[in-house]
Amino acid sequence: MRVRVKFEKTGIMRYVGHLDLMRFFQKAVKRANLPIRYSEGFNPHQIMSFAAPLGVGLTSTGEYMDIDLKQEVSSKEGLESLNQNMVEGLAITGFKYLPDDAEKCMSAVTAASYMVTYKNPKDDACYIDNIIDLKEKFFDEAASINIVKKTKKGERELDLKPLIYRFNLEVKDNVPVYDLLLSSGSTDNIKPELVIKAFHEYLGLPEFDELSLDIQRVDMYTGEPESFVSLGEIGDEH
Amino acid sequence: MKKLALPDDILMQIDKPARYIGNEFNSVIKNPADVDIRFAMCFPDVYEVGMSHLGIAILYDMLNKRQDTYCERVYSPWPDLHNLMKERNIPLFALESQDPIKGFDFIGMTLQYEMCYTNILQILDLAGVALLNSERENDDPIVIVGGPCATNPEPIADFVDLVYVGEGETSYPTLLELYKEHKKKGFDRNSFLREASHIPGIYVPSLYEVSYKEDGTIAEFKPIYDDVPATVERQVVKDMDSSSYPTKMLIPFVRAIQDRVVLEIQRGCIRGCRFCQAGMIYRPNREKSVDVLKAQAKELLASTGHEEISLSSLSSSDYHALGELMDFLIDDCLSEGVNVSLPSLRIDAFSLDVMSKVQDVRKSSITFAPEAGSQRMRNVINKGLTVEDIIGGATLAFKGGWNKVKFYFMLGLPGETDEDMKAIPQLANEVAAAYYDTVPKEQRQGRCQITISTSFFVPKPFTPFQWAPMYEAGEYLRRAKVVNDEMKAQLNQKSLKYNWHHSDVTVLEGVFARGDRRLCPAILDAYNSGCFFDAWGEYFDFDKWLAAFEKNNISIDFYAYRQRDLDEIFPWDFIDCHVTKEFLKREWNNAMAGKVTPNCKMGCSGCGAKSIGSGVCHNAR
Repeated sequence: MRVRVKFEKTGIMRYVGHLDLMRFFQKAVKRANLPIRYSEGFNPHQIMSFAAPLGVGLTSTGEYMDIDLKQEVSSKEGLESLNQNMVEGLAITGFKYLPDDAEKCMSAVTAASYMVTYKNPKDDACYIDNIIDLKEKFFDEAASINIVKKTKKGERELDLKPLIYRFNLEVKDNVPVYDLLLSSGSTDNIKPELVIKAFHEYLGLPEFDELSLDIQRVDMYTGEPESFVSLGEIGDEH
Repeated sequence: MKKLALPDDILMQIDKPARYIGNEFNSVIKNPADVDIRFAMCFPDVYEVGMSHLGIAILYDMLNKRQDTYCERVYSPWPDLHNLMKERNIPLFALESQDPIKGFDFIGMTLQYEMCYTNILQILDLAGVALLNSERENDDPIVIVGGPCATNPEPIADFVDLVYVGEGETSYPTLLELYKEHKKKGFDRNSFLREASHIPGIYVPSLYEVSYKEDGTIAEFKPIYDDVPATVERQVVKDMDSSSYPTKMLIPFVRAIQDRVVLEIQRGCIRGCRFCQAGMIYRPNREKSVDVLKAQAKELLASTGHEEISLSSLSSSDYHALGELMDFLIDDCLSEGVNVSLPSLRIDAFSLDVMSKVQDVRKSSITFAPEAGSQRMRNVINKGLTVEDIIGGATLAFKGGWNKVKFYFMLGLPGETDEDMKAIPQLANEVAAAYYDTVPKEQRQGRCQITISTSFFVPKPFTPFQWAPMYEAGEYLRRAKVVNDEMKAQLNQKSLKYNWHHSDVTVLEGVFARGDRRLCPAILDAYNSGCFFDAWGEYFDFDKWLAAFEKNNISIDFYAYRQRDLDEIFPWDFIDCHVTKEFLKREWNNAMAGKVTPNCKMGCSGCGAKSIGSGVCHNAR
């Protein structure tokens, strides 16, 4: 039986990369004594898969992994025993049994929401008085947002507009805070940095540094733009 | 949120920032205000190497069991971070609290290999602690070192305050109590160090003076004061079962070299190979009982969540209850998804049976470490492994489905002739021939693969070879070429592969291994000219070392290439490792005569370690 575990990765855990995080969870599941299923063969490994990897430097309140259990453990017990084996910056927030036909979290993801702001409250972007009007011109009123995306194979032209499902902006204490919902997953995976970079170019700001952004992934979704469902809403607690 | 010593922009530009944030599962967090002693325990190499070290794990656990002590970890910042810390004046910090270690009571460092000596200076330098012990003040941390290289600490005598000679489990409690006493009455560095010199196993280099003869050898090595002992006795744990062993181990985020439970099954070795320092200084061989090991294995697997367990010892095949222990691990662990990774075992029917249970035979290889190619040379080094053992073991393995063999040898052993070198590929060829004789053509999966690796022999203190000369770098390479040429002349050469090491670093290792305190200024100059991470090929710069030696009139010839006199006073002679100099001389003479000495289980050869009163010397036979 498959379980979807939802977790947060915050604070200093932002400096731990995806592969290291996966190894951490393999050991945590073992310490928590969850009856996880192993693959066959000489080097059996836990049946465990993660939704879209989170880059180093980013935090998240909506991360997911699917695990396969040999026996049922109550959601409450599973969540508690995992939480006893976390470190500061990692917290388990969901433990739900998936229906048999549920798609794996890795392939199910079609969109992700982000909260983006600036690490430095004196960033150049904090001094544009009409930034909200400009955002409307850049996004809401635009028919297309054409950018050049660098890929492994070279560069390609891309229209961001249909891949941005939500682009809200408010200014808190003079610092712009973006609320984005972007296409995610194996095709058309749009990173928030790419969107902000395009916006910076539109604003005419000098050289864009993606490390100037503080990015939090808020949640991940599956389904179509008209009917997105959070990965955490699928399945039931037992 | 936990505070970090490094700012975000640094963490985002360096390699593997998770090396520097602490926060590992099972790490110990205390309130510094609640303790009397803050101890920075350092492995002077990169995080992934240091986190794999069992000795530090044992001491970290042991010191933190004390209510009055907070032991935290420090590793060498990689050069990318080193440069940034220097540029921005960020002081070196401990991982747990992220506090600068300059304010700690102790900085303890383990000396696992000679090539880490400049990294000791890097640690002190980044910490903001004076590099020379003579320049430290009352409120500076006490710099203490231990580990195998502490059996000749003289090359770093000027940099450290205390040297702990031996196994840390024994004298640390006394040392820490003494420190607390001194701290209470108003700390005076000199009077603390003076009194610390009375504790068994504690050596205070600044309290000794050395005079030299005209030929550069030592005339006299003695304490400056009457109350300071003339010899320092290496400390040894007497009962391994009751000795402190962690029930938890830290789980690093960055993958450590040892990403598994490491279970120490015994200390010391019964074999007495004459080149091997560990085989001499860790005497006597002391085993843990199998019931203790079973309990420790279970507990550690549960508390770490590791999916692999490995046994640690110098010669696991000699452990008295290996069969029972392996059966337990295989029965109890494999079903739980835990792999058992095998230590280097003597290849025989038993070990092959165990291996076939835990490894994919077709993918894994079997390993032999004959160390020398000819039987003559193996007698010289007292390696009790015969051609029959090797061919017999390999043949059994081939029958069992293996077709990969790894061989480890040393070049440059005392008295080695070209014939001895040529015997290395000849032996490998014989093993390849055994494969083609044993396995019918239709069952072969291509050729067998025999890999030969050679390292260059470095004479170490407290071994029967401590008197032996080394060769110049070019001569080592010539020897490697003799092996390589001979390999190409073998019938089965297409099944053989040969790897050898660089030789410059070997020479330097040789200088440090048997060096004295006159090397200190050269090591300091080398560090100041940019040498550190010398154990890492990409950072090793031999020319800088040669310049530092020249500036300080250090002759490599004197330290490395010279044949030493049997009655020469060595810089490490003041240490009592229990193994007597008389025994080592006897063994040197036996080596020169090609005479084999029996192992400790076959009979006592009177090395001196019996005086400790435990271990194999006193086991009923």
